Amino acid sequence: MSTNQPVLQIQNLDVRYGSFHAVKQVSFEVQPGEIFGLLGPNGAGKTSTLSAIEGLLTPTSGTINVAGYDSRKQPLHARACLGVQLQSTSFQTELTIAEIIRLYAGIHGVALTRERIDRILDDIKLGDAAGKRFGQLSGGQQQRVSLVIATIHNPTLLLMDEPTTGLDPQSRRQLWERIEAMRDKGHAILLTTHSMEEAESVCDRIAIIDHGQIITIDTPQAIVDNNRDRPEVIRASRRGRITLEDVFIGLTGSSVRS
Amino acid sequence: MSSTVTAHSTTLAPAARPIIDLPGTSTVFSALLRADLTTQWRNRRATILVILIPAVILISWKGLVPRIGAANVLANCITVGLNAIGLMGYTNSIARDRDKGIFQRLRITPAPRWTIMVSRLTVQLMMIAIVTLILFIVGFQSDHITMTAKGYVLAFLASIVGGAIYLSLGQVIVGLIRNAETVNVVTRLVYFIFIMVGMFASIGLLGKKLGDISLWSPYGTVQHILADALNPNTWNTQSSMALLVTIGYTIVFTFLGIRWFRWQSSK
Repeated sequence: MSTNQPVLQIQNLDVRYGSFHAVKQVSFEVQPGEIFGLLGPNGAGKTSTLSAIEGLLTPTSGTINVAGYDSRKQPLHARACLGVQLQSTSFQTELTIAEIIRLYAGIHGVALTRERIDRILDDIKLGDAAGKRFGQLSGGQQQRVSLVIATIHNPTLLLMDEPTTGLDPQSRRQLWERIEAMRDKGHAILLTTHSMEEAESVCDRIAIIDHGQIITIDTPQAIVDNNRDRPEVIRASRRGRITLEDVFIGLTGSSVRS
Repeated sequence: MSSTVTAHSTTLAPAARPIIDLPGTSTVFSALLRADLTTQWRNRRATILVILIPAVILISWKGLVPRIGAANVLANCITVGLNAIGLMGYTNSIARDRDKGIFQRLRITPAPRWTIMVSRLTVQLMMIAIVTLILFIVGFQSDHITMTAKGYVLAFLASIVGGAIYLSLGQVIVGLIRNAETVNVVTRLVYFIFIMVGMFASIGLLGKKLGDISLWSPYGTVQHILADALNPNTWNTQSSMALLVTIGYTIVFTFLGIRWFRWQSSK
């Protein structure tokens, strides 16, 4: 696969729920080996955009290409190129960790022996958890298992919806190291997060979305530099220096969204 | 609001396209089926209840065998079991897994969506076969009910046809109602009404008018085809009508159930 071609292309994406226009003419692309952050306040359209990419909802208009596969014309191929880590855990409570891994590997056509599953679990320091249920794991352990399942088929593009929510600092740091390691191997990662510090330190590029529209796309530093003189950003600044969070609040407003 | 909108709407260069070998349908299906069978096995307490209730009725109705006939007694009990599988087992598992987001997780994989449901239905068909066989054995052991080999085979097939009606009715309920708790309450209510009205009507305790209504209800038609399948010599035009009505109910419920079904419980 060529490394200079985008692995995700979204063009003029529109999503409506009845009369509510959740996503308006959103276009962006994600390159191989790139961590791309989609940031926005609650209800801005992040999850709707991710859901459209995942194929969980049908866009009103626009196109989504995953690794060159049109998500409407070849949805199975597009989904086969995706690894997804959802915001909330959603695995069968009756199955053990090993059984869940085997299930998702099987769905992706990846044959795994018991020894291979044990090695995978050893790699994420859960060697003794093969027989446990997902609900018996801590939040950090659940995230590690979710990431293993999301990447079991070596996807071209990994989607992560607020992956560090609820994690302690150690688990968060470990997760970012794993995500960066994947980026270094050439995987593209599209993630949403509410943590501006994380986005600033980890993401190669960021898109800020609000009211269904993309306000800006650039590197974190360029977004800060391009907006540092705006009065609303200066007003939002609280530390004497302009941060990504100040720019974010300046661009999207300081009122709390439900 | 910023004016630095940089989102582009121009035509982009085509994305790189790796050659993807999609997993075979049989590979996907066997992975799903293995997981669904394991889930069913781990829920064996509920499975035992599904078997236990009609088995207890069958044992306690031993005295009714001479009065309403062995085929009718056995058919009633199998119908109760089929009701429980379709309305309580299948429907509640779908509602619960939808509520937990398990379907959402499966839908973002390259598994064709029909395989997710067919795998679930296959497990329920296995349950129907197991419950029917166990009730044949309990009927023989406890009530000394013996049928011809042809009768057992035909009743076995009739139980598959009859089971489909309750699976499809469950699909309608889970299509109409999003909340898993409400689905649980409604299926219990429907189950209770079906078996109480159906059983009492079939032994003549509810009078002619209710009896006639019950005869053509989803309970009555299934009970009718099962009874006449167990005793093939009694199969007549009315049995064929009951079979057609059963298939008709199933087609209508399946159509509505698929049409109304939503994979997510919210939005």
